[in-house]
Amino acid sequence: MTYEPPVTDYDHIVENCTCAFCGCNCDDLDFLVKDGHVVAVRHACRLGASKVMEDMDQRLLVPMVRNEEGVLEEVDWDTALDTAAKYIAESVRPVFYGWSETSTECMKEGVELGEYIGAVLDNQATICHGPSLQAMQNAGYPIQTLGEVKNRADVIAYSGSNAMNSHPRHLARYAAFPRGYFRQRGRFDRTVITMDPKFSDTAKCSDKWIGFEQNGDYGFYNAIRAVLKGKKLQSESVSGIPAEDIYELVEEMESAEFGVLFFGLGLTHTLGKQRNIDIAIKMVQDLNANSKWGLTPMRGHFNVNGFNIFMAYETGWAFGVDFCRGYGRYMLGETNTIDLLVRKEPDCFMVIAADPGAHFPNGANQHLADIPVIQIDIHWGPSTELADVVLPGSFISVECGGTSYRMDGVPIWMKKAIDKPETCRDDEWIVRELKERVMKLREEPNVADKYVPNEGLACLLDK
Amino acid sequence: MHYANTYLAKPVVGDLEIESEGTTQVLKCMLNTGSDIYQGACKKRGSTLKEEYKNASGTCYMDPRDMVKLGVKNWDHVLVKTDYGEVVLNAARSRDAPHQGTVFVCKGPWANTITSHETYCCSDPTYKGIHATVEKTDREVLLMADLMRWVYKKYVDEEDDDVVENMESLGERPVYNGRKWEELIDHDL
Amino acid sequence: MEYILKNGIVYDPANEVNGEKMDVCFKDGKIVESVSGDAKVLDVTDKIVMPAGVDPHAHVAGPKLVVGRLYRPEDERRGVAQKTKVTRPEAGFSIPSCPTTGYRYSRMGYGTVCEAAMPPLEAKHTHEEINTIPNIDINPLPLFGNNWFVMEYARENRIDDLAAFIAAFLRISKGYGVKIVNPCGSEAWGWGMNVHGYDDKAPYFDVTSREVVRALAKANEKLGLPHSIHIHPNDLGHPGNVPTTIATLDSIKDIAKSTNKAASVRDQTVHCTHLQFHSYTGNSWKDAASGAEEVADFVNKNKYITCDVGQVTFDETTTMTADAPMEYDLFKISGLKWANKDIECETAAGIIPCIYSPKAPVSTLQWAIGLELFLHIDNPWQVCLTTDHPNAGPFIRYPKIISWLMSADKRMSMIDNGEVHKWASKRTGLGSIDREYDFYDIATISRAAPAKIHGFQDRGALTPGYNADIAVYDINPNDFDASKNPEAVEAAFSNAYYTIKDGQVVVKEGDIVATKQSHTIWTNVIGYEEEEKQIIDSIMPFFTQYYSVKWENYQVHDHYVPNPVRVDVEAK
Repeated sequence: MTYEPPVTDYDHIVENCTCAFCGCNCDDLDFLVKDGHVVAVRHACRLGASKVMEDMDQRLLVPMVRNEEGVLEEVDWDTALDTAAKYIAESVRPVFYGWSETSTECMKEGVELGEYIGAVLDNQATICHGPSLQAMQNAGYPIQTLGEVKNRADVIAYSGSNAMNSHPRHLARYAAFPRGYFRQRGRFDRTVITMDPKFSDTAKCSDKWIGFEQNGDYGFYNAIRAVLKGKKLQSESVSGIPAEDIYELVEEMESAEFGVLFFGLGLTHTLGKQRNIDIAIKMVQDLNANSKWGLTPMRGHFNVNGFNIFMAYETGWAFGVDFCRGYGRYMLGETNTIDLLVRKEPDCFMVIAADPGAHFPNGANQHLADIPVIQIDIHWGPSTELADVVLPGSFISVECGGTSYRMDGVPIWMKKAIDKPETCRDDEWIVRELKERVMKLREEPNVADKYVPNEGLACLLDK
Repeated sequence: MHYANTYLAKPVVGDLEIESEGTTQVLKCMLNTGSDIYQGACKKRGSTLKEEYKNASGTCYMDPRDMVKLGVKNWDHVLVKTDYGEVVLNAARSRDAPHQGTVFVCKGPWANTITSHETYCCSDPTYKGIHATVEKTDREVLLMADLMRWVYKKYVDEEDDDVVENMESLGERPVYNGRKWEELIDHDL
Repeated sequence: MEYILKNGIVYDPANEVNGEKMDVCFKDGKIVESVSGDAKVLDVTDKIVMPAGVDPHAHVAGPKLVVGRLYRPEDERRGVAQKTKVTRPEAGFSIPSCPTTGYRYSRMGYGTVCEAAMPPLEAKHTHEEINTIPNIDINPLPLFGNNWFVMEYARENRIDDLAAFIAAFLRISKGYGVKIVNPCGSEAWGWGMNVHGYDDKAPYFDVTSREVVRALAKANEKLGLPHSIHIHPNDLGHPGNVPTTIATLDSIKDIAKSTNKAASVRDQTVHCTHLQFHSYTGNSWKDAASGAEEVADFVNKNKYITCDVGQVTFDETTTMTADAPMEYDLFKISGLKWANKDIECETAAGIIPCIYSPKAPVSTLQWAIGLELFLHIDNPWQVCLTTDHPNAGPFIRYPKIISWLMSADKRMSMIDNGEVHKWASKRTGLGSIDREYDFYDIATISRAAPAKIHGFQDRGALTPGYNADIAVYDINPNDFDASKNPEAVEAAFSNAYYTIKDGQVVVKEGDIVATKQSHTIWTNVIGYEEEEKQIIDSIMPFFTQYYSVKWENYQVHDHYVPNPVRVDVEAK
């Protein structure tokens, strides 16, 4: 990368903007604005800056519908919305996927539409931290806000997470480097341990790297738990880590005043999946017997946690909620997008603020080639290549305000800094329009005549 | 107007001298996928149609010793095969080496063609720890739009992989009728 | 629109109406003296008419609820119901989804619920949930007891600064009053510790619970807020915690109630919540027994105290409290999945599923202590009906508790027939109490008293000018023996004949017939603007350094309170 002079030609600065990239939701960004465009951004990492300083070449500006030749054609908003609404209204098994890069205000419209039509609502958790959510349902969820980490933590462990690449400011703003109330010397007061088969960029700036072998996560944590409970390891090494190193590590973790385990997709995407995290959570719980430990999943998108939180309070479940019968059903591995697509169940797919084209495995995406796909997004991306209707949204936290939830559950109002392109619409508006149009086209299915208490609840009431 | 620039043509990788032709035709290895900062930046700035995304995401990061074995230099092309598909990728020296016997491909449409959709009933596909083979190839790494056309064939009347692979490229810009984006956007390249 | 509820039997303790047959009129959402001949008549002949219920303490909205829902899908599946033309799909038993919460409170004839723990950092989240709950108004109480700034002011006894701080933070978080949970204990939990007793210090902060509670009580009365301090004392759920509870309540004795107009509705200077969990004697669970009589006696003698009970209902429920160390203790006992959430500079929270079984000695002891408190506290204006939802049981069990309170026979038969563990008779005095509540008492503990305690001037009574929040139950009290028909009491109070919210019929014969957006009730202190500005300026360097969000993004904007009821308090 060549040297670039700082941008000095701007009209004004908008302070305290929130970064709409990863789950760190850094809310200290300054946007330099000239002629209604952000020309530079301060305090952001490379990821955040690159998103705000977007590539306008591929910005979606006009609604489009595929014509008979399979070419996307520009249309007016009415035509595009009507086409999309028709696809949804005519479907029997629609899936609304995405939501992690839009605001909870938009999700609110989405859940109303989903409940009305009987759709499956799912988000990116299904391909990233779904197993983490499943694991917390098995084992528990001891977490803390990132400010707690900053103020108290003296031992920080990253497991299966390359924060320096996927959450670049995580170490700097919250975990390893900042000067906290009880950690006045910042990085010098903390020990950073990275547990990862790969000698990642995060491992390179840690005090300690535990390079357990690929798919060895479960065995490794199991060994730690055994040692925590005072057992002696029977073999010389576990998951490629010598026994004496494990003893040493356990001693270090147990003597922490306040330890935090941050874990990423390294645990969720390998073969143990949710079981890897089960055992990591149990390890953290065990550590609390003599020390104070917490954990936090390193959520990828800025509002992926927000969707889970939002769905939990709106419907009762975090993601993959199926309303086809008029009430919510939730069964991991059945009502989730990948499983549905692999089983070739959906007959209409709406993707909002997400990119399955870029992130679903081939085996799942194949089905998208057979069914109508509606895309609501800001950039022309891999999903556009599979989309039949394209609705250009607006950029939350830059062109449009909204609420998001950080990886630790702290809600943040993401304010608007500049106006959106004239021809685009806010996500919230688009989904509301779709909802209203679908309601006109089709009567609501699976409505009970009268409130019928759930049989389980009724017999409980009789007790 | 002067914009701050976040563009980077190719990820920065370490130098690698490869003299010989290599000793192995097909390298058996473990495939991991995931994100890195180049891929993430490219994806979210929205330049997915472009060469830069292809280089960030369509690259197979290898241990230098494995590269020597195969006789591939930085930015040579390799064919990676798994039980779930195959794809042509750039080869490059991994920044995280040593990790002999493991290759890393950033997530994206290229990785998708070779990762496993098996969720084992827990919603999440198996993106990591997949058995793969790597071999040197002369085939080209496809741009994103071409790759999507080649893999999913949603909008082409053609079933044959080879024919689709060699069709005229869809290019690095959005392709659709009547669009005058230059007039709509104030941008400078 | 004018309405007249005709020929109901009215119980309105605030206006000393005890079972009189009379009409209730309302117009444009407010109770009125009379209406014209065009008024729509709702015939409720010989049915019970009360003000809509007011829940003084429950956990219905906020971050820890969501953690509960996220990690307990099994609980959500227990309450599933299909959507209707009016209602959205329902889900959840002890931690229902937000719409479900609204519907179920509404079906019981409730109109107002206090959300009892809101961490200011995540107040936006609480407000988002409040906006999703239909049909009931909610006043959230921000947590102050372990706030770093508060502990600092308390240590230095800076009551004026503390008052300004409270005024500012009520506005910033859009909160209603001062909630204190395990003062200093949740901060100690930051290091995996707890405080023991009332005079223990939080590590590093050099301040005791006593100092924090007294400082907050003084500041609360200085401002003259509508509600008093709302305290969850130290040592919750620990055998032998009676001395701590009484020491806590006793320490407020010398603090005079504010003479401010806003504070004039209430009589108390301290509201002690879920008192049941704080009334245990003994040294461990082996020799634990009821301390209800001693605690009730203390409440009876001291009119500056009010309480709610936190009645155990024998359900599988989800406990959640800002008393995080206590939740870890529960985890060590039960081994069930444990969740925890520490919040920087403010508080912590713990969550764990809990099974209260009538076959289990401890559950039964807790059940009996709760009922003993209800029955030993003489003045129903000092005690309120709660389950500390969802901690001791879900709120849908209120009607069951009402049936227990109204029937000594029912209680005795549970003890005598072995429906509950023998600890109920061996370790408590429940079996010897034959007091029974009547409908007037029930109306007091579930409506009038909670409204008075919270200082509401627009609800909890059928006074002209008040909100038309009314509940009608299908029982003819003149021809009904509640003591002999506990099941009928429970059925009637579970499914209101009418629930009227702001003059709109939202429930008819147990069915939701309409939904309306709920209000957020918050307190706006007037007269402290200058002090507030100074205090915010003074905390700003600390805030910038040690919080993980920017001040601008910390505050709750009006966006999150689209439907407010602002209670203005002239503090000077």
